[in-house]
Amino acid sequence: MRLKLSILIAKLAALLSKKFLRRSGETIAGRVLLALYPKAITELAKGKKIICVSGTNGKTSTTKALVTIISKLGSVATSPSGSNLERGVAAALMNNSEFAVLEVDELHLSRVIEEAKPKVVLLLNLTRDQLHRMHEVKRVADRWAKSASTAPDTLFVGDIDDPFVALALNSAAQAERISFGGRKHQDGAVCPSCGKYLKWVRNNFKCSCGLSNANPDQSFEAGSAAYRNATMANIVGKFLGAKPIAIDEKSLERSVDQVYAGVKANIRLTKNPASWSEALTSVTGENAVLIVNSREVDGIDTSWLWDISFAKLSGKRVVVCGERALDIAYRLHVEGIEAEITSSFTEAIAKFDAGSDVHVLAAYTAFYELVNS
Amino acid sequence: MSQIRIVRIHNELLGTYGDQGNAEVLEFRAKFHGITANIIDVSYNDDLPTNGDIYLLGGAEDAAQLLSLEALQRGANLETLHFAIERGAVILAVCAGFQIIGNRFVANGQEVDGLGLLDVISIPGDKRLVGDIKTTSTVLGFELTGFENHMGRTILGPTAQAFGKVITGHGNGDSKYDGAVNGNIFGTYMHGPILARNPEFADLLLTRATGRKYAQITDPLALKYATWRRKVI
Repeated sequence: MRLKLSILIAKLAALLSKKFLRRSGETIAGRVLLALYPKAITELAKGKKIICVSGTNGKTSTTKALVTIISKLGSVATSPSGSNLERGVAAALMNNSEFAVLEVDELHLSRVIEEAKPKVVLLLNLTRDQLHRMHEVKRVADRWAKSASTAPDTLFVGDIDDPFVALALNSAAQAERISFGGRKHQDGAVCPSCGKYLKWVRNNFKCSCGLSNANPDQSFEAGSAAYRNATMANIVGKFLGAKPIAIDEKSLERSVDQVYAGVKANIRLTKNPASWSEALTSVTGENAVLIVNSREVDGIDTSWLWDISFAKLSGKRVVVCGERALDIAYRLHVEGIEAEITSSFTEAIAKFDAGSDVHVLAAYTAFYELVNS
Repeated sequence: MSQIRIVRIHNELLGTYGDQGNAEVLEFRAKFHGITANIIDVSYNDDLPTNGDIYLLGGAEDAAQLLSLEALQRGANLETLHFAIERGAVILAVCAGFQIIGNRFVANGQEVDGLGLLDVISIPGDKRLVGDIKTTSTVLGFELTGFENHMGRTILGPTAQAFGKVITGHGNGDSKYDGAVNGNIFGTYMHGPILARNPEFADLLLTRATGRKYAQITDPLALKYATWRRKVI
């Protein structure tokens, strides 16, 4: 009874937030619910088949793909706005449904696994990101491995070409180890299992302690991050009895097309070295706008910009903006790329003539502002 | 000297925080002075080149820090560094790298002997120190800015001098001083990378490495960036 009342109050709070503050209302609903009923996630998860998606990059798009896949089997609850902390999870579970597909922040996954007891956890990847908050990649990996070892009823599906994912899957009682033929990992110099120098032969790793990406349960051809994530979403779907969807890489990229006074902008989310590097490979045109911010979810520091090679932008017209426009401009300058510095996105996009195509690579907060405006 | 060799030590291990950019900034600033810089990447299994002019170490996670230390203690590597110091080469070590070149430090709960190039010891504190940092350096005579993210508490011995006096942030953990310096050996907790945010420091390292004075560089963007960071932190 108390749970039902708490949900009612939480929903009311969401309604007010939507009406008067024009917010999505989900975060506030989850907050209120957890404050009134701290065990809400555990209670609401009972009777639902839960699937969690976590990783540094691709959580939101993969969660969306999984919702599409699972919805053929029955009703699916999810948190569509990418609210991936406990409060977002609680809000997503408030409604009755047979399934719930939840995007979960890397650092919060342990608690969600413990409380929601998911049927399947999909681990995409783990690389350096928001180090002011994550502190160290290894710290997150250790948490994953620990919670995998304490969830014997959960199936862990993941891309073992990523040594940190491989470690987590090795710790799980039930695991489906997927490989895409091996891939170099920027943070993969040290074995996350034993601390030795990790032995790589081309794109594959094999440590003397046993950690390796050899002998996967399923192997696929190499491809883009979007393709890998969609492939794994289909595997999770198949496990639950759903038919696979056709893999449309374009729809799985966090990118949106918008037109500003005739300028055709393809806006893509870039938030850490791995997602920048992936996004830079897609810059095929001659024009680019780069937006760098430094709010909490962007990472409050920009040192990591120096871990990215921007050589791909050489010879193109590059305009920068955002709170840390100078940081990115100087980083490009040292790499031999002279960018035009502007004080806002409006000013940046206005530099281009109507009819031109522009790649916009946007920090997390900038991406959300542009896509929701 | 119209050529210098910049040795970037164990970037695959000591490259988690953008500090690899220090080598790029040195190379870039060197060009203004008419110096050709070669960046030599040395990985875990390689021997250190004996003819480096500037040796760079960056920040790392604990396991990587221990591996880097082990590699630097292997074969003739430590001897190479001692010899380099004697002939006036520059060493710039950041965060985990700063701890490595000290006398002792703790990583993964294990207390180990460092390389002993700087008279400091580092122990873990009870709280992680994360945020923007600004110091004023007595050695350089100007303000430095950067970003720190570490658990270290570093205590200076009698032959090490503090590198900077903290204005904002925590530095060595006491919120008073950051880093240490002895001759041409510099240790600091400042990421950024430090030479990107403080290009004058890059110039000073080039001067120290070559023994030559250079005319001031005109690079308005570098100046604008450095000045802005000093203003906002």
